Amino acid sequence: MTTNNDISISISVQGLTKTWPDGTQAVRGIDFDVAPGEVFGLLGPNGAGKSTTIGMLTTTVVPTAGRATVHGHDVQRDPVAARSVSAVVFQDAVVDKALSGRRNLETHARLWGVPVARRDQRIDGHATSFGLSDILDRPVSTYSGGQRRRLEIARSILSEPQVLFLDEPTVGLDPRIRHELLDLIAGLRNRLQMTVMLTTHYLDEAERLCDRVGIIHSGSIVALDTPRALLAAVGDEVVEMRVGTNGAAALAALQTDGVAGDDAFAIGTTITVPVRGRPAGDVAAAAAGLGLDLLATSTRRPTLDDVYLRLTGATLASV
Amino acid sequence: MSTPATISIRSSAPTRAGRAPTTGSVAALATLIRRRLSLSARTPREIMVPLLTPVLFALVIAPALADIGPKVPGLDYMSFAALGTAGLLIPLNCMFAGIGVMIDRESGARRDLLAAPIARPLIVAANLTVALMITALQIGVLLGAAVARGADLHTSLGGAAWFAAAAILLAIGMYGVAETLANKIPTLEEFTGSLPAVAIVPFFFAGSLFPVTALPRFLTDFAKVLPLTHTLAVMRYGLLGRSSNGLHDIWGMDDPTTMAALSLGVVAVFAGLLTAVALRTFNRAAVS
Repeated sequence: MTTNNDISISISVQGLTKTWPDGTQAVRGIDFDVAPGEVFGLLGPNGAGKSTTIGMLTTTVVPTAGRATVHGHDVQRDPVAARSVSAVVFQDAVVDKALSGRRNLETHARLWGVPVARRDQRIDGHATSFGLSDILDRPVSTYSGGQRRRLEIARSILSEPQVLFLDEPTVGLDPRIRHELLDLIAGLRNRLQMTVMLTTHYLDEAERLCDRVGIIHSGSIVALDTPRALLAAVGDEVVEMRVGTNGAAALAALQTDGVAGDDAFAIGTTITVPVRGRPAGDVAAAAAGLGLDLLATSTRRPTLDDVYLRLTGATLASV
Repeated sequence: MSTPATISIRSSAPTRAGRAPTTGSVAALATLIRRRLSLSARTPREIMVPLLTPVLFALVIAPALADIGPKVPGLDYMSFAALGTAGLLIPLNCMFAGIGVMIDRESGARRDLLAAPIARPLIVAANLTVALMITALQIGVLLGAAVARGADLHTSLGGAAWFAAAAILLAIGMYGVAETLANKIPTLEEFTGSLPAVAIVPFFFAGSLFPVTALPRFLTDFAKVLPLTHTLAVMRYGLLGRSSNGLHDIWGMDDPTTMAALSLGVVAVFAGLLTAVALRTFNRAAVS
């Protein structure tokens, strides 16, 4: 419902559910709120329900149950208003390749109602900012993957949306272009105080860009907090051990002898032991003294992958 | 595990909820038409290929048939066939417009258009408008070429209006078929495979190159229910000096104007139905 009240929640999701006609539950009653100006990440593997969630928020997927608002507009009751305050960068290329970059930008600006007086100025300004000025009048079919992605991001902010949805914006790009785009997206939040909702299965993207991260697994949000808080849940450091035999049995031995706590977990033959308040080297040395069939031991800083592993028993890359 | 909660990371001031300025329906339609025209202009295939076969019929095959075939009293075969080839051009052109819809969906900007703050049926309306514009251009070329080759068209303002109404309604209906198939059929290969069945087969049964009464009886009856048969009969009524032979073959009545109105009504129902089906199919494909 459109209101003119001041709002303190930019995206509100309550019990949002999507069940496909074949019975597949893509999203299972998720809840979260995103504050204005916040960069919120939905982190999960392929098929976790990230894109379906974005689809429901951008009104291309109809929720089976629940409610969602985008900048105060109910996505089901007033979808046009919800779309008027938002824009999307899609997972794959969504551009008219036969047309020039400029024509693509013009079409978007006109449809989103960018005032005529500001349209050209804004297009040229964004083209300069995104390094597209020299190629803007060329057909998009001649652009490289990175140039096309930059064009799509430039297009998405032409209308200065209140809410920007980025659906796996760097997937499929080579590492150099990916890092270039991460810089660019990070720059957006500094330049424009817009709310950004980002889906990704890349940990570094979530850690680097997001104020808060929701970890989604099989359609449910299994954790939601700041990256720092999520990482703190798996300790200051992590000792990772690879054993030659049964990982579960080795983990049980480590826990029985007090080397590992209840938060340690084993996936296959790899055991991950979160370490708090003591040197990781002590844990590694203690484990070595137990006579386990240790093939390799390493210590490192925890990542969101460890958080995900601990919560779901699967790695982000493997699902 | 952390529980979902709202944490405002930045101490940002509450912002106003309100609808952002959006473009009106007419302006949005104009933008979408402009976009589709730009795409068509950069894809000459969309304009030239549908024109090729009908022009070939009008300029080469029809004169050849007129030379070797038996003469039918009162029938200028060159003119008869020239108008008949419009019955090939319109369906072909609309089906080619459907290819554009598929390309939009598979590798174009359709999803960005669906995310736009506009009424989504405007996307279909814009594509239809451009299909009509290109069809009008092509029919102009076809008729011009036929007249240059010797076709003898007799018309008046009223006759031209009958012709235009029939052509426009057929194009609307055929675009509805194309839009529906483009949203139903998963691959471009399958869509292209459906093109002859949809655009070419009816041409041979609809009295395009010979009167429907020349067909075996059961095929004549079949031809009478084809919207294309009605369209061609009205077109000829409009541009061939109010020739009502085709209309009479369908309705068997004496009043040409009544028969033309009835046939136009059939084509209008076809156009309305197929447009409704196309919009429904588009909406179901656009939103899952």
